[in-house]
Amino acid sequence: MPSIKLYAGIYVVLFAFATAQVAVEFVGLLESAYWIGLGVILVLSLIKALFVAGYYQHLRYEPRSITFVVLSGLIVALVLTIASSYSIT
Amino acid sequence: MTDGSEPTPDGGYAGTGDELPAATGEGDHATTESHGLPPYGSVKRWLVTTNHKDVGILYTVTALFFLVFGGVLALLMRVQLFTPGSGILSPMGYNQTVSTHGLIMVFWFLSPFAFGFANYVVPLQIGAKDLAFPRLNSLSYWLYLFSGLLLGVSFFQGGTFAGGWTMYAPLNIPTYTPSIGASTAILALLLFVVSVTVSSVNFLTTMHRMRAEGLTFRRLPLFTWTILLTVWMMLFAFAALLAALVILSADRLVGTTYFASTSPGGSILWTHLFWFFGHPEVYIVFFPALGVMAETFQTFTGQRIVGRKWFIAAMVLVALQSFVVWMHHMFLTSINLQIKTLFMATTIGISLPFDLMVFSLIYTTIKGRVRFATPFLFTFGSLILFIVGGITGVFLGAVVLDYQFRGTYWVVAHFHYVMVGGVTALIGGLYYWFPKMTGKMYDEFLGKVHFVLYFVGFNLLYFPMFVAWETPRRVFEYPARLTAWHQLATVGGFILGASFLVMFYNLTKSLVDGEAADGNPWAYSTTAEWAVPSPPPLENFPGVPSYRSGSLDFLGGSPEVADGGEVTDGGTLTTHDAGTQAAHADEPESHASIWPFAIGVGAFFVFLGLSGLQEGSFAPGIAGGVYLTLALVGVAISAVSFVALGREHFHAPTGPFGESWPFEAIENTKLGVWIFLASDIVLFGAFIGTYVFIRISAGWTGWELVPGDPIPGLMNTYLLLTSSFTVILGLVAAEKKSRWGVVASMTTTILLGIGFLVNKGLERNHLFHEGIALSSNVRTSTFFLTTGLHAAHVIIGLLIAVYMLVRAWRGAYLENERPLEYFGLYWHFVDIVWLFLFPLFYIL
Amino acid sequence: MIDDEVSMYPMVPFTALVVPLQSGIVPDGGRDEIFQLIFTVFLVLGTTVGVVVIGYMLYNGYKYRDRGDQDDDGIDRPELGELPEGGGGGRKLALSLLLSAAIVISLITWTYFALVDVERTQPAEAENALNVQVEGFQFGWAFVYPNGNTSDTLRVPEDRMVKLTVTSRDVFHNFGIPAFKMKTDAIPGQTTDTWFRPNETGTYQAQCFELCGAGHSAMNANVSVMESGAYEQWYANTTPANTTSGNATGNNTTATDASATADNATAANNGTTAA
Repeated sequence: MPSIKLYAGIYVVLFAFATAQVAVEFVGLLESAYWIGLGVILVLSLIKALFVAGYYQHLRYEPRSITFVVLSGLIVALVLTIASSYSIT
Repeated sequence: MTDGSEPTPDGGYAGTGDELPAATGEGDHATTESHGLPPYGSVKRWLVTTNHKDVGILYTVTALFFLVFGGVLALLMRVQLFTPGSGILSPMGYNQTVSTHGLIMVFWFLSPFAFGFANYVVPLQIGAKDLAFPRLNSLSYWLYLFSGLLLGVSFFQGGTFAGGWTMYAPLNIPTYTPSIGASTAILALLLFVVSVTVSSVNFLTTMHRMRAEGLTFRRLPLFTWTILLTVWMMLFAFAALLAALVILSADRLVGTTYFASTSPGGSILWTHLFWFFGHPEVYIVFFPALGVMAETFQTFTGQRIVGRKWFIAAMVLVALQSFVVWMHHMFLTSINLQIKTLFMATTIGISLPFDLMVFSLIYTTIKGRVRFATPFLFTFGSLILFIVGGITGVFLGAVVLDYQFRGTYWVVAHFHYVMVGGVTALIGGLYYWFPKMTGKMYDEFLGKVHFVLYFVGFNLLYFPMFVAWETPRRVFEYPARLTAWHQLATVGGFILGASFLVMFYNLTKSLVDGEAADGNPWAYSTTAEWAVPSPPPLENFPGVPSYRSGSLDFLGGSPEVADGGEVTDGGTLTTHDAGTQAAHADEPESHASIWPFAIGVGAFFVFLGLSGLQEGSFAPGIAGGVYLTLALVGVAISAVSFVALGREHFHAPTGPFGESWPFEAIENTKLGVWIFLASDIVLFGAFIGTYVFIRISAGWTGWELVPGDPIPGLMNTYLLLTSSFTVILGLVAAEKKSRWGVVASMTTTILLGIGFLVNKGLERNHLFHEGIALSSNVRTSTFFLTTGLHAAHVIIGLLIAVYMLVRAWRGAYLENERPLEYFGLYWHFVDIVWLFLFPLFYIL
Repeated sequence: MIDDEVSMYPMVPFTALVVPLQSGIVPDGGRDEIFQLIFTVFLVLGTTVGVVVIGYMLYNGYKYRDRGDQDDDGIDRPELGELPEGGGGGRKLALSLLLSAAIVISLITWTYFALVDVERTQPAEAENALNVQVEGFQFGWAFVYPNGNTSDTLRVPEDRMVKLTVTSRDVFHNFGIPAFKMKTDAIPGQTTDTWFRPNETGTYQAQCFELCGAGHSAMNANVSVMESGAYEQWYANTTPANTTSGNATGNNTTATDASATADNATAANNGTTAA
């Protein structure tokens, strides 16, 4: 079971990453290289989500099968989004 | 007429002339107490029962009522179609009939009918005493019933929905379908989806966690397998439908413009969302029928299913593939050729596992001892019908042919053959399990009469539709040369309807004075439900079911067993089993609660009230006032009921269970929460996917973000992140048994959550003063509704948190901190969603 | 949707498709000929398969019916409470599956080539095609010609390709002319493309194939196929009407292509017709 220190450390990281996402915009990356900026920001969100899921929701310590259940939901949502967006003419 | 006091040889009790035999809860208990459950004769019993068998009966009977309702609507259509041109229904009347016929049959009849059996039979087949969450089971039933009542009410509010069961946009928005009844119908469906989601979580937890020892997945009975796959599909598919319905409801009631004609990609967005759900839905509806076919083919041929493990593999494949074929309903839209080709391939791909299953069933008859009893007549017949339907489906998978068949009666005939073919198998299931559920045998001769009329009527009704395929769908004008075929179909429809009269008469009469049925009236049946009396006692089994020895035993129970078969009892009790028995004796399981019913009532009023919303507010005057009052009354009833549900002392079945793979190391409630969250992921995923789709349609980079500035969003991110941290601190405090720690952290969490909402409110006001409102355009619609859905989740979380704060103040959660953990799982999920909403709506 | 830029298609080089298309295996010709041939083949095969399989089912059901008085035939029958076995018969199933897969896949592949054929147009034909925009509305059809004229009857010359760009002014409709085996969705805010080549004069019916409201059953339009001379005469006498919902493209009486994207729709980013 993770300690309070670990939880606190993760909290700090989450806080920093959130700030970083806005910083990406303020630094102008979205103006100069939009898609790179988008990628950076979304990756930051993903990492934050993984931390919250893995530690705050304890997924790291739960049976791996639970992660698969969660992943299935995610994959379903992604299939819908990606295929429908790809079909736009 | 017998009196109710003498036990019959198989352990059950003969009927007293009431609805069902007055079986008491005695079963394997020495006590006479029936765990707070009133006897069968009383109305109250049916309102409070949470036992899976009772709930199963409720579902079955209610579904049959909707069958009649939907069937009458169909006959109205057939009467209108007897000759081309208008008839007894006005054009709008016809459209309403067509639409509600489809909605009722697909949603309110088919799945609930199947789930009547699933409820009754699955726990018996897997060796469980009840579902994992009995009150939630009862809740799903009441939500289902009240959603159906809501649909009924919608007819009286200016006309019900008239845009087809497919509810295409933009016909479905108020501009083109202004009636309030249409909104009510959509809300009714929304409530139905809630019922289904609750049910899926329940069944998934039960089937994974609560199987008898030795009953691994490979050895699971085929009917249970089909239900397992059905509920997996339901969990994800219905979440997508829920997204579509929430968005549509917002467009209709609150003024968003997702589906307006002028919104980019709006119309085709609906088709994606709907069919993404709609295609898995047809397998959701068919799979239980397939399960009944598998069970009865084995029982009535006396042969084990050929290639059983391939049969299972094929089913699993279909369940997975069902999520990647939906665009074959969209071949004539503007989707590009590459994706059309891909979906043509996947569609053909999904027909192949079905071929395997069909062959498996046919080969099972070889060298069998085939008895054409009524159940098997129906399932054998259903396979024939399914083959015809399946072959005609291949026609539709060839895109060039689909270009012609689109919107014609070829499609109608195809799907009626497969779907009503499924119904045929379920009717077989009704006859098959009727003796088990009632303790009475139906009349075999009348059953055969039913089948003959049914089969003749069915083919006379649907086959001419293939011949007259050029008739466009949902019209009552057609070329005169096709008249004869339509007239044949109408006659067939009435014959099919009449056959059901035979069935209702047969079953009611048999219920009242049919022959008493054994525990196992069918030779060669193998599954556990036949090893207990008909109907089974409240606790289902005389001992703990176990397959440890290689076949079914009941460990540690009374010597009284069901007749037929080779079930033994006894066997040595290990301390494991003894522990279960002891635990059970200390805390008898509960079987009754009024709160699910009460929540159903509350939900009914809430949604009925909401149907009166227009552009975000209630109409001025009495009508608006009435709707508002109804909604508030509903909220009050629901709130009280939820709190009461939480505070009630209810003992659901607890472990240890025999087989729980792959969720051995997690308890029922936590698994249930995670499964629920998975469906919530799909819900938000569909909302975000919708935003992405619309934004790409409009031009991604040209899209002006609604909030002018990301800082308020960043503040909200900080607030939510901190609140997640405080929730975790609360859990740690509980583990350390610190009451003040828990109280402090819950309070802080609540304050932070309120801060989040206040900040949102300020932001909304600010935008409003700049002239930006929810209904301004599709950018504001997506922004406000998506973040609004998230805010609704926050509100619900806060309500739960307040309740838990009060309990924590009184010292709860120090011995058992798990509810805090479950709350945390939900709250962190809400946080994670925001982590993606924030950049998508505020920065990118 | 017509997709002349087949080079967009990444997987199958266009040249690989030419061979089957030219060999005569793939149905060629007007849409109705293609449809009739494929439909007939499917019907014959489908009926045969259906009859064989259902017949086999019925035969087995009859042959192995329980005669009540049979002795125990030594076959191991299912028993109550047993655990299911692994499941034999895998080989027979695999063979049956392979056979049905072969039939189904080859059928669909065959129709796929027809699909590609339908979806592309010969460059020579495209130049000569008549481009008409179709706008569906509750509850009728408007046909907008290259010169801007709007008509409520679709008049076309015989033996010439007609390319239609279809959209809707309000809800989701579907425009189909059964006689020419041509049908496509009419979606508000988007366009779909289709074509047909009528080879017999006469009057035909166009209908709506997607439920669109109270008038759906009556949402028809006439399609009048005229001799070329008669058509040209009619066309020359039309003038751009001023009642269309914003569509007058420049005076374009020659039948070249699609400068007319459906700009009656306000969302401008979709559905370009292919050049």
